[in-house]
Amino acid sequence: MIAGRLQFETSHATEFVDVTKLVRQEVHRSGLRTGRVHLQSLHTTLGLAINENEPLLLRDFQRLLERLAPGDAGYEHDDFARRFEITIDEPVNGHAHCRQLLLTGFATLLIEEGELVLGRWQSVFAVELDGPRHRELAMQLDGDFVPLSPTGRGLGSRARAGTDSELIELELARQLMVDPDPVAVPMRRLMEAGGKRLRPKLVQLASQIGPRHDPLRAASLAAAVELLHNATLVHDDYVDESTHRRGRPTVAAAEGAERAIAVGDYYFAKATRLIAEIGNIGVTSTMADALEAICAAQIDDVALRGAFPGDHDSYLRVVRGKTAALFAASCASGALLSDAPTDVVEALRRFGDLLGVAFQMADDMVDFSPSSGKPVGLDIRQKVLSLPLIYAAEDRSVGPEVRRLLAGSLGDEEVGRVTALVTSSDALRRVGDEARGLVDAAVRELESIELDGLRPTLVGIARSAVDRTA
Amino acid sequence: MNVQVLDRELDRLEGLWEQGLSDTYRSYLETVSDREPQVQPKLALAAALIEVGIRLQGLGGHAAPATTLLMGDLCLARASRLLADNASQAVQVAFAKAIEGLSAAAASGKPGRPVRELLVHVFSATA
Repeated sequence: MIAGRLQFETSHATEFVDVTKLVRQEVHRSGLRTGRVHLQSLHTTLGLAINENEPLLLRDFQRLLERLAPGDAGYEHDDFARRFEITIDEPVNGHAHCRQLLLTGFATLLIEEGELVLGRWQSVFAVELDGPRHRELAMQLDGDFVPLSPTGRGLGSRARAGTDSELIELELARQLMVDPDPVAVPMRRLMEAGGKRLRPKLVQLASQIGPRHDPLRAASLAAAVELLHNATLVHDDYVDESTHRRGRPTVAAAEGAERAIAVGDYYFAKATRLIAEIGNIGVTSTMADALEAICAAQIDDVALRGAFPGDHDSYLRVVRGKTAALFAASCASGALLSDAPTDVVEALRRFGDLLGVAFQMADDMVDFSPSSGKPVGLDIRQKVLSLPLIYAAEDRSVGPEVRRLLAGSLGDEEVGRVTALVTSSDALRRVGDEARGLVDAAVRELESIELDGLRPTLVGIARSAVDRTA
Repeated sequence: MNVQVLDRELDRLEGLWEQGLSDTYRSYLETVSDREPQVQPKLALAAALIEVGIRLQGLGGHAAPATTLLMGDLCLARASRLLADNASQAVQVAFAKAIEGLSAAAASGKPGRPVRELLVHVFSATA
């Protein structure tokens, strides 16, 4: 399903605004072939009607409305002395509300073969009853959409604007639309809550490097990668006993562990299917290796919580699997998809690996940033492997107290104290330096390969993945 | 069947192998006897890992504790990799669809088809 708003200005008190062309454009842009477009007025003095766009007839309609609900009939709604909570610019418009009652606020139009199903003389009108004003109609399109085309035909209005990230969002929406509600609803909630979409972005960029760039196949792969990533998050949140992610309750917290396991499994399977359906053996194999690395590292991560906060080597081993594996696979598989040369694929794989580790280090630092929007100290509470904690525990001055606190039970007071100790130590600076060093190394991996003008974008992504506060 | 060819594939899963994965594996060997000889053990192991992984996770029943869930996840991931490296596209897709179906049923609170029956059917349907 695609949702949007139709916006327009009216210029008269009563006006029949023919929105047929606007709706038709949106249908064409969406790629909807067979289905429905639902329109809903978002105003109590704006109606909808389907009728003939003939000027004299429209004047007849206007007069009819005026006769049935005259402007000067005296409406209780306009008696401000008897009303509460009226605004200073409250209009005298009882007649307009009454006229709206004679119309409708909703319309559902059928779509066949990509076109609005309208009779020869039918037009779709938004009927202004209290203008002139700025008006909005809510619009939803659902049904069968054509596959997206690189030429722009069949793309939603947002996607046609042309950026790859919009293609990803459209593809994700398309994939979620066909899934059963018990799994799709929680996943949609997670996806709509945000996320940086870094992995699919890397897929798309890397897919532009080889000679066989196909934006649609790249979008399919990118969406599968994002679904896979989110599937792992659903299980991670259950394992970590996290109650919130991206500001919303986790699937496990909202709907229980059983549902979380099912949702994670469903999208794990769906993502692997989508990848298999692309039919590129190298891509399938690369993604399968990454998925296995993620799962193995997750086991190591939990096992290491017994030796919390752990050490640098253990940290790198876990992070390479848990985070960097999918970054590396995203870069490599995008390049493989476009038949990029082997040296390019491998350079991008190394770029993704280094970037993934740096990204995780930056993520660890966010846990100590009060401006991140996330609860500070979450990693400490959950005993998640974190490089700032490892460095703080090694610190000559604060290390002993950090280690003592982490060895005990961690209530609010202890978490606050550990946070303060980490912040006061050199740990965050060390992690920041290390992460930036890794990004420098990642960027160097790109120097020896031909990137067809994509280098600045990849470098920009790499830098911004580390220089962030959320 | 010589299980030495599976050594690499059983990394981290040795305990499960002792605890019943080997029996499940053997039960699938006959099902894949019509495939290329060199891929038969890999395909049988992939199916066995899916069956055991789903059971470990508690899919469709009571949720497994965190560490057991992760072991189940690893089983599924290993199976996915085995299929990616050894199975046709049709088999990969069919296995994924089978897991999608089981997960969707579990999420809906509906009883899913028995896993073994489902996976055996996948093999026969893609022969």
